[in-house]
Amino acid sequence: MIWLPYSVSILYVILFIYAATSKLWDFRQFKIQLGQSPVLTAYADWVAWHVPVTEYILAFLLLWETTRLKALYATLGLMTMFTTYIILVLNFSDYVPCSCGGVLEDLGWTEHIAFNLFFILMALSAILATGTKSTSKTSRS
Amino acid sequence: MSTKPIYFKLFGTLSVSIAVVILLFLASEKQVHRNNAFTRRYPPHPVIKSYDLDLGYNSYYIAGIDKDILYLGNSTAPLHLLRIRLGDRDTTHIELSLETDLDSVRTKILNIQVLPPYFFALDGITPMILRGSTDNWQATVWAKDRAYFSKAQAIDSNRIAIRSISAKTGRSVLGLMERDDSLTVTLHPDILERKLDGIFDVDGAFTITPDQRHIGYVYFYRNQYLILDDRLHTLQKRSTIDTVQEPQIKLTSLSEKGTTEMSAPPLFINLETALYDRYLMIHSNRLGKNEPTDMLDEASIIDVYDWKEGTYAFSFYIHHVEGQRLKEFKLFGDHLVALMGRHLSIYQLVDAYFTKSTGNPDHEK
Repeated sequence: MIWLPYSVSILYVILFIYAATSKLWDFRQFKIQLGQSPVLTAYADWVAWHVPVTEYILAFLLLWETTRLKALYATLGLMTMFTTYIILVLNFSDYVPCSCGGVLEDLGWTEHIAFNLFFILMALSAILATGTKSTSKTSRS
Repeated sequence: MSTKPIYFKLFGTLSVSIAVVILLFLASEKQVHRNNAFTRRYPPHPVIKSYDLDLGYNSYYIAGIDKDILYLGNSTAPLHLLRIRLGDRDTTHIELSLETDLDSVRTKILNIQVLPPYFFALDGITPMILRGSTDNWQATVWAKDRAYFSKAQAIDSNRIAIRSISAKTGRSVLGLMERDDSLTVTLHPDILERKLDGIFDVDGAFTITPDQRHIGYVYFYRNQYLILDDRLHTLQKRSTIDTVQEPQIKLTSLSEKGTTEMSAPPLFINLETALYDRYLMIHSNRLGKNEPTDMLDEASIIDVYDWKEGTYAFSFYIHHVEGQRLKEFKLFGDHLVALMGRHLSIYQLVDAYFTKSTGNPDHEK
């Protein structure tokens, strides 16, 4: 299972770089869409910058062995936030906006949740794999 | 034993993330609905266009609505009315006849308001008000030389809300003209709130619900509106999402003439308005956060307020027809009619956005 944290990290790196770039590519549009999002209207400016920047930083940190575990926790947190956002928008907001960049735009909301849950599960298992590996190391010594 | 801290951390990460988003959501909801953050929300398609109608002239104005019949007055042909049945777009031309000859009224400002089974012809400068039946379209004098007015809104067959100038203070006042056995005029100087001179700064427009039970007065140069009942008692004094509270107008007094004039173009905060049930719609050309500037060339922004709750609900666009911007709009039943240049656009209001109580939506998807 040593390969798991590494491959999950690589998958996430690809996802984050792709998602962040597609947001910045059409930043104005992204900001407008966020502003129209019923959940984040008041924080659109702030969130619009922080989301892609966080994605880039995490992509970078996931690449290094030393920072990977912490980055995986942060990734899990971020993914959970995205998913919570989608669920809130779908169930509790006045209307459902259209946002998300690139091919993700073509996903339906249900597919989007499934997609996110899959990534959350991967992050979870990667953390667990890393964790048990390091604890088994310490118990051995 | 050794994996426990991991589960602990994982659980912590998950719950903190979920909590942060929920808190953001709740805080944002509150800010957008209650505060003057001035960020608009555009839900997808709260109104759907039914059709456009070419009227042939751009001088029409909305004179009244009766069920699905729309009456349009014409400012260049003051005695001409256009009657449009919105269901099948059937149009009829109506010629009004007035008891007085046209020389005794200012035809340029003559305003027709149709409130079946009556209609009014109003001229606030002469001043003269005529009333007639919509059966024969013949009007007789209803009030003459009683009160000058700059704005008027017929409430029912015997009552008209006016905006006049108080002889005592020289400031704008709202008042009620009423006919029982005789005609009475009551001025209510306490309704309009003076910020500068009491004339320009309180300028605004009347709007009335189709059932004529509530009247709105929306200030042009500040972010405020009033909702009055049909006897002009103030029911609500509310603010819009805009943040301009003090009128941004420059006034110059010409002391030798004793007049005051505007010396710079004013900043319009609110333009045309429409009132229906508990919804007040205001056309605004002010942009909020994250709104594309070029949108103003393509469409007019309508902000929807729930005046009973005092909340901002959402906004939508009315797209210009052939580059003509919105001149006037009205609500009735579940329709919105908008006049743009020589075109009339009919929109259907989507139930999900207008019947539910705002701020507590519970529809799915």
